[in-house]
This record gives sequence, C-alpha cells and structure tokens, in this order.
Amino acid sequence: MGALKYLAEEYAAIDANFLQFCASHGIFSVEDFLIHDVYMLVASADQVSNSDQLKQVINQLLSVIETYHQPWMNGLVLLEDREQNKHCLSTGCNSFDVLLQGGLREGHVTELVGPSSSGKTQVCFQVASNVAMKLGGVVFIDSGNSFSPTRIKQIVTRIFGSVGNQVNGIIQQAMRNIECHAVFDIYALLNVLHQLKSTLESQDGYKVRLVIIDSVSSLIAPLLGGGNAQGHALMVSVGYLLKKLADRHNIAVVVTNHMVSGEVGNLKPALGESWKNIPHVRLQFSHDHATNVYGVCILKHPFMASGRSANFIIP
Amino acid sequence: MEVLRLPLSASQKGKLISAGYTSIASLSSISPSHLALELKISETEALEILKSVSNGSRLESTSNSHTIVNGAQSAWEMLQEEETLVHITTSCADLDNILGGGISCKEVTEIGGVPGIGKTQLGIQLAVNVQIPYDYGGVGGKAIYIDTEGSFMVERALQIAEACSADMAEYSPLYRKGSQACEAKMMQPKDFLENIFYFRVCSYTEQIALVNYLDKFITEHKDVKAVIIDSITFHFRQDFDDMALRTRVLGGMALNLMKLARKFGLAVVILNQVTTKYSDGSFRLALALGDSWSHASTNRIILHWNGNQRYAYIDKSPSLRSASAPYSVTPEGIRNSASNNKRIKNT
Repeated sequence: MGALKYLAEEYAAIDANFLQFCASHGIFSVEDFLIHDVYMLVASADQVSNSDQLKQVINQLLSVIETYHQPWMNGLVLLEDREQNKHCLSTGCNSFDVLLQGGLREGHVTELVGPSSSGKTQVCFQVASNVAMKLGGVVFIDSGNSFSPTRIKQIVTRIFGSVGNQVNGIIQQAMRNIECHAVFDIYALLNVLHQLKSTLESQDGYKVRLVIIDSVSSLIAPLLGGGNAQGHALMVSVGYLLKKLADRHNIAVVVTNHMVSGEVGNLKPALGESWKNIPHVRLQFSHDHATNVYGVCILKHPFMASGRSANFIIP
Repeated sequence: MEVLRLPLSASQKGKLISAGYTSIASLSSISPSHLALELKISETEALEILKSVSNGSRLESTSNSHTIVNGAQSAWEMLQEEETLVHITTSCADLDNILGGGISCKEVTEIGGVPGIGKTQLGIQLAVNVQIPYDYGGVGGKAIYIDTEGSFMVERALQIAEACSADMAEYSPLYRKGSQACEAKMMQPKDFLENIFYFRVCSYTEQIALVNYLDKFITEHKDVKAVIIDSITFHFRQDFDDMALRTRVLGGMALNLMKLARKFGLAVVILNQVTTKYSDGSFRLALALGDSWSHASTNRIILHWNGNQRYAYIDKSPSLRSASAPYSVTPEGIRNSASNNKRIKNT
C-alpha cells in the first residue's frame, strides 16, 4: 500500500493519466483514495475526456483493495473454526487446568500478572515443558535472562516420571522443541515477532503451539509516559501483532506483567488502561510466603466469571 | 504500518508515513537522495533511515535451519552451554551451596540488606574472587567496580586479596593435577588490585552515562567477567522529584545491564538498600526502588540479621530453590560462619 505510484508498478492500468487525475483531486496514496468519496470521483471523471478508461481504472483499484481485508465470517464458521483448530493446551498442573476449564486456549492471549516472586516465570516454565513434551514447538522470548535450562530439565524429568539414561532421548527431544530468544528492547521484540509470523506463513511443516514472552512489561514500561510519544503506539502494535499471531496460526500466547501501586495502596497491573483490553484472559498470581502456597485468580476471561481462584504449589 | 517497527524518532516516522512510505518494502529500493528530497530532510538523515531498514532486513534473511526465529537457541543447546559455565565463588561454602556453586555469569544478581550487613564486603570479595585463575576453579577474569557511595576501601581490598592469595597458595598442591605440569602462576595481592577497574560516580546522570558506556568499555577489555555496582540506589533515592521518570530511567538501565550480562557472559552484581513497606497491617523490610525495580534482576538475595548471625536468603530465582545460609565477615573477607558447631542442649 502506500503511494499510488507503487501500485502502478504492479497494475499496468494505473498509468500516468490516472495518477495525474488523482493528483488533481489531492489523492496521492491509497489511504487518500479510500477516504475520498468514490461517487464524486466518478462524477468528475465523466467531465474529463477519457472518462471510460478512468472509470475502469477506478473499478479495478477498488477490486484490488477488496483483496486486502479478511473475508466476512458468520458465527457458524467461527464456531467450527474454534472446535477444530483452537484446542486447549494443558498446563500440566491439575488445579490450573480445572480453573481454566481445560488449559490455555489456542487463539487467546493470556496475561499472567503478579508481584515479584509470585510464580509467574515458574508457571511459564511448567507450561512450556508440558507443551514441548506432548504437543509441539514452543518459542520463549526472554527479556530478563530468566530462562534456565537446568530448571526446564528438572521439570521435564518430573513430568516424564522416571529417571534414567533410557529416557534421555525423550528429554532431549522435548528440550529441542523449546526455543529461547533473548530480547532487550521493544524493536528487537517486534523484529522477532514479525520473523515468526513470516516463517509461519511461508512454511507449514513445523508447528508452533505456544509463544511465551517473559516479561513484556519490562520492555514496554520504560517507553510509556514522559515525552515519548511512541510508547503507547508501540505497545498497542505489539498487542495486536500477538493477537493476530494467536488467531491466524492457532497459537496460545502467554505474556507476563508486573504490578505497580494503584490508589489506596493497592497493587494493580502495570502498563495502564490501554493494555487492559489486549489480553483475552488475565490471571493474577499471589504467593503466601508463610505456607509457600501460590494462588491464582481470574481477573478477566471471555466466558468465565472473574473472581474464581485456585491454589497450587510448585515442586 | 511496518515502518513503526523501525528504531527511528517519532518525527521521522511521521514524515515517512505522510509521504506514503508505510511498508519496509517500499523503502528497500530507494536512493538516499530521492528519500531526502521527498521527506525534505538532509541526505545524511535519509542515509541513516535506510541503514536501519537494511539492518532489520539483514537479520531476517540469514536463515538458520534449526530454529524458527533467527538468533534463538533450543533449550537443549542452552543446557549444554550452561554445564560449562563457571560460577564466581563467594568464599563462603554455605552461600556457594545454596547458590549452586556461586554467583552465575550471564545473570544479573541483586543483593540487598540493612546497613552494616556486609554488602560492600561481599562486593569487594567478589571483585577479588572473579580473578581466581581457571586452574584453581575460578573464572580468571577482571572486575569493574562502580562505586556510588564512596564505600570502597583500597586497604580492605588489599587485605582480602592477601587472604585470597594465601588461600590459593595453601590449596595449590591439591589443584595441581599430576598429569598436567601446568605452572599456575601465583597471583600476588597487587596483581589482584591491578585487575579491578574502579569508577566513582557522583550523580545519577553519571551513573546512567556510565552504564551506557560499559558496552564499549567491555568490548575493549574482553576479559572483564564481573561488574559490581555499589550501590545502585544511592543517587536515585534522594531529591528525585519525578517518580515516573525514575521508574522509566531505572527500567531502561535494568534492560541495559541485562543485555551486558547476556552479551558478554559476565556476572552483574547490584547492591541495593532497604526500605520499610506497610502491607497486611505490618511493617516489612523490602528492597528499595519500588515494585517495578524488582523485575530488573534475575536473582535476588536478601541479607539480614537473625540474632547475632548474618544470613543470606534467596528471595527470587528462576532456577534456585528458596534457601537461607549463614555467613560471617572476617578479616580475611566473607567466610563460613564460625558457629557451625551446633551446641547440643543437654536435657
């Protein structure tokens, strides 16, 4: 998209005459064309000499633009898509699965929010190990050097249930399914996500089932506020990219967020109001230091009541 | 709008979009002078913009057949690498045990505690211990010590270095494996001091500038294996009016330190102060700089008093279990606590 003259390279009908005609109406880019009233344009084309040719080009341009948006779908198509393509990924922890009615759903962006040391990274490791062992590929994007292969190996060994050399091959295969990438600023994150998107669009062989970003808030928080005008735009573009990845390629996306102090001394999730709408499911974690029990509570869910909670321990 | 992905300033992005360049492909085949004319900017600026575009696309084109995303590693490869990582010992066996061998390189460790608990002592001990040669089970690297409070005492560092050198001389027969006739050079105390790069920082702007400069410094001095910042809180606690700015600046600094640790494979140790927090009806000691700073480090260790004994407690770690270990500060540095002999109560 962009300037009309770049479309001219692909579609020969959009020639210099047409471009000049558009320029006389102040239309230089595709966006200008879309905003402009098409009937007015056709009416003014009638008054010019080669009106038929101009009208033909206008129609062709409109049909080209039609191909750029997604087709309309009805509820039945959506339901079928959900039942066939968007399965639930079990997290490996029973009480968690029961709380989420099956596990993490593909196509959803799930946010894990909680104060420091409340179990978010451990749950990410647990889910990653479980999915890598049984279901498919996992991409782990790490912004705090917290990915620990030793811990993953511990969890995978425990899931498999026995120790010994003969299971080494299975553990190796499971760990090969997890890819870890370290990013330290938002542009690197956007690059990684775009790369992932283009790889998934081009090749169908390797199935990625889960993408984890730990933590997205430490990448975005330094950009929000102050004189930086781009912070919110970048945050929302990351959010939409994640949602698109989740929906088009049937992936479950998990992001972690930290908490900041809100009014009256309560803690609230970081990243503000604009981020609130991006994840489909928001889960809040807490840790009771005395008993070493972790709690998780639903803050937001598309079809379950918020406030439901469960407890679990991390072995 | 793909141009939003590029690391450019907001005004440059605005000019690109209003001229109609919204995708990276449209920028790939244009010359700098043409771009400069269209956007009404200087040619050097146009050249910079095109360079950032080509950097991004170069990263995409090198395809590694093993991983889906370029630059990623599978967990199995990372496990193999991790088994070869050496830890920096703290000279206290109990503390090393709960840390899994010592302070691990490639991670940012935050150590906090009340005044007088031994944070600076631990920092100096680590600056000396990172230089222990590979033959003696150490890392064999240099250290950078960033001092914000002025609490680094050279005489104390010399004392600790002398004790470390004496320890190495004592244990050297044990380490010399008979088959390899390696003459491990004996490190003199002043050699230890030579390998510590000391920076004194007097304001928060200097601190931020120094952290940004460290990347270049370490590229020139490749054998630096530890960066110790003592303490990171001092200049940010007093007189900082804009709390939101403080959080943003600290967040950016934390990401910088993480990147350093990962890129050069060194250990970053941050010493922090404590503050009181009111929660659930009681006052608790918590580390300073707020909740958002608690995500700046990979591991967090809290030093506290328990009776007459100093304890170190692992508060947050992705791979280590929460545990506590006693230690003591002696004239030789940080050592095991002397009261290891448990007094059995005679009933």
